[in-house]
Amino acid sequence: MKACTLIAASMLAISATLSGIGSASAQDSMVFTSWGGTTQEAQKKAWAEPFTASSGIAVKQDGPTDYGKFKAMVESGNVNWDVVDVEGDFAVAAAKAGLLEPLDPALTKSGDLDPRFSSAHHVGSFYYSFVLGFNKAKLGGKEPKVWADLFDTKAFPGKRTFYKWSAPGVLEIALLADGVKPDKLYPLDLDRAFKKLDTIKPNIVWWSGGAQSQQLLASGEAPLGMFWNGRIFAIQAENPQVGLSWEENLTAADVLVIPKGAKNKAAAMKFLAAASSAQGQADMAVKTGYAPTNLKSAALMDPKVAATLPDKFTTSQINLDMAYWAANRDEIGKRWYEWQAK
Amino acid sequence: MTTVPTPSLAGEVDLSPEPRRLAGLGAVAPALGLLALFFVVPVVALLLRSVLEPQPGLQNYAEVFGSTTYLKVFGNTFLVAGLVTLVTLLLAFPVAWFLAVAPRRWSALLFGVIVLSMWTNLLARTYAWMVLLQGTGIINRMLMQIGLISEPLSLINNLVGVTIGMTYIMLPFMILPLHATIRTLDPTVFQAASLCGASRFQVFRLVFAPLVASGVAAGVLMVFVMSLGYFVTPALLGGTSNMMLAELIAQLVQSLLNWGLAGAAAFILLVVTLAIYAVQFRYFGFGGGEAR
Repeated sequence: MKACTLIAASMLAISATLSGIGSASAQDSMVFTSWGGTTQEAQKKAWAEPFTASSGIAVKQDGPTDYGKFKAMVESGNVNWDVVDVEGDFAVAAAKAGLLEPLDPALTKSGDLDPRFSSAHHVGSFYYSFVLGFNKAKLGGKEPKVWADLFDTKAFPGKRTFYKWSAPGVLEIALLADGVKPDKLYPLDLDRAFKKLDTIKPNIVWWSGGAQSQQLLASGEAPLGMFWNGRIFAIQAENPQVGLSWEENLTAADVLVIPKGAKNKAAAMKFLAAASSAQGQADMAVKTGYAPTNLKSAALMDPKVAATLPDKFTTSQINLDMAYWAANRDEIGKRWYEWQAK
Repeated sequence: MTTVPTPSLAGEVDLSPEPRRLAGLGAVAPALGLLALFFVVPVVALLLRSVLEPQPGLQNYAEVFGSTTYLKVFGNTFLVAGLVTLVTLLLAFPVAWFLAVAPRRWSALLFGVIVLSMWTNLLARTYAWMVLLQGTGIINRMLMQIGLISEPLSLINNLVGVTIGMTYIMLPFMILPLHATIRTLDPTVFQAASLCGASRFQVFRLVFAPLVASGVAAGVLMVFVMSLGYFVTPALLGGTSNMMLAELIAQLVQSLLNWGLAGAAAFILLVVTLAIYAVQFRYFGFGGGEAR
């Protein structure tokens, strides 16, 4: 890590001297933090490397994102992260709590950014859908179609897997499966959602991270469940038995924020501009199977790839309500973990 | 240090108790400083948060003791730690015994295996258990193939999984103190007892048990206390309905950002742990060799 920085820094110094422009001094660097794994690797390739090449600002990678650490850094005034990839509902709540730097208004002014995923404190990182994923080989060739199938243990016996943490997704799925109309989802009827989840609680295996969800599905430990579409995209390449249904897919986004008191704020703003640009978002989408949050990106992508992304399945798509979640995050979280521990 | 100790006759200045104690203190100062800076200070800060956030008062403690969920998590924590300690003791005792009485080559080999397991990454070992124990895992597949069971057994995401995984990780911490005690036993003591007319049970109860008690106490304390605060293994091998305290605290800190409540839960656990140490100290000293 240190060696990399050193090499990058000395390369910068050399290039600055050679070009004679010297717009970027050797100290110009910033830290980007995300969740690790294939997603951060894609972010590095799609954003950080081209950004360093064009701006001369070195981008150090750190991770995984940890909201506890995030809060501790801001409170102590010793902020080591400059740009952080966080979940949408956290970003809204964190902005309210004063943990974020307001963004340069020029960043969001162009009108190119999908308004669902940008605000005065964040720009979209990528957007994804929760989809129903399944492993045909373990289901006797049957294919579940709708969220209600996850709750039908007669037609689809075996374990089903859901996202473990209190976050937008699972409660909505329970309500949709129970017959709530998509436009009547919010405010969430928590009692009804937990009651529905109670019916399959012994059959639930929780996944706490993307890699675990893939392992559960591919091994057949849990032959069906809810997944991030990009994770299914990744295993489908190797395992033709794995399928997915876009029926009532639930969209949410990761967003990029700057923690309050970040040391390299100016560099961070430039990085956000590059990452949320049409090209940056297009490159990210091609690498991950997640959708771009810049409305102009689709035109820059191979149509064949663009056709498989969540933004092509909007007819049966439901947007998870980040504002509702941000306002009720703590209360829902408490009930969620209480219910899990019961 | 202006006072020069008066040299004794044979010049054994170093062995007089007073200077020795002081010299020892100087040597542990860096460790104590490190502990104070990186353990005591943060713990006090966390304790302060538990009585200051969101407003000054004891509401966080009231919430912990008033919630059936948190009490259940506490109960679970002690249940798992107790169960793991018991199973570990039962498994470790014969191993420690064997290590003490087996030929040197055998005991060296076994020792190597035990220590090697401690050197392997904890996360890797826990993931290995996941692969072994899951419904489609090797253990269930084998049992089903030989026809012992028709449905996979639930060995993971429940109490069984946590107990297996943690017992495996805790075994060395029980074996080593037990072995240290058993190794020092003198077999002739038992012969003497028998010769004096003690029955086998009496030998066990009156001679053997008191002699190994301190080793057992040291091992039990170490394993129980370590288990109380365990995080990785219960999080990966346990289910949400047998959540342990460390996992709850992590959730409060990382996901809910409720540090006041997390501080309260952590502090209660700390107090319980210190109380257990106090009991141990009262009855067995510092787990040293002196059995009463």
